[in-house]
Amino acid sequence: MSDMLKGRCLCGDVRFEVEPPIMRCVNCHCESCRRACSAPMASYFGAPDGQWRWTRGAPKSFESSPGVQRRFCGRCGAPLSFRSATLSDVIHFYTASLDDPEALTPTSHFFYSEKLPWLHVGDELPKYEGNGA
Amino acid sequence: MTAGPVSGRCLCGAIRYAYEGDVNWAGHCHCETCRRQCAAPVTSFFGVDNDRFRWTAGRPAAYASSEGVERLFCGVCGAPMAYRSAQFDHEIHLYAATLDDPSAFEPTAHFFHGERLSWLHLSDDLKKNEVGGL
Repeated sequence: MSDMLKGRCLCGDVRFEVEPPIMRCVNCHCESCRRACSAPMASYFGAPDGQWRWTRGAPKSFESSPGVQRRFCGRCGAPLSFRSATLSDVIHFYTASLDDPEALTPTSHFFYSEKLPWLHVGDELPKYEGNGA
Repeated sequence: MTAGPVSGRCLCGAIRYAYEGDVNWAGHCHCETCRRQCAAPVTSFFGVDNDRFRWTAGRPAAYASSEGVERLFCGVCGAPMAYRSAQFDHEIHLYAATLDDPSAFEPTAHFFHGERLSWLHLSDDLKKNEVGGL
């Protein structure tokens, strides 16, 4: 299908595809996302189970806290996804992993209270202290 | 950043590092390779001379993303840890978000600003280099 969102790790060993519609696409400033990506901010989107699949390779998995599974490429290390037991039927992929990372646009900021002081965000998107729930 | 020792770690803590003294430079990188290694819209990093840097716990896995370029990451949790290039063989490049206290980071420039994602809107007054370079 031509409207599939496709993505990959840095080396291309692991690839995935997602059938729209996705759940929301957001920027996240929480320390766990920052440390998973080694970046000042992560951007991710949710995909319900049944609408996505790994199309090449198999990522490694790490449980960063109870019930939170983070996956990454074992060859190049690139972060690929995370999922939480609290939203057990949804996987989250990183927007920057998409073959076209501009195919989606984040619509809000999560955990803005944890934002690093030197990252000067200049957009007008809603900024939530937590996950917007 | 103040004089060392300054320490950092991966997400799971299997890999730890420390360095002494000042950083050589510090900034944000928008290049596609950094974005894909970190799976993030932008990453922020700094350079430290090899002789002032050491791994203090574990050793990262390495991936050669292009000739003469090594990208290091934690083999347990996957967190990107460092970048080494034959072009800058006197120093190691580390990610600010891996610092034990990342709030102390002081970026002074943007690199590869020409590759930035259209939806990333930052409002600082730092120097914006279209490619690499200080």
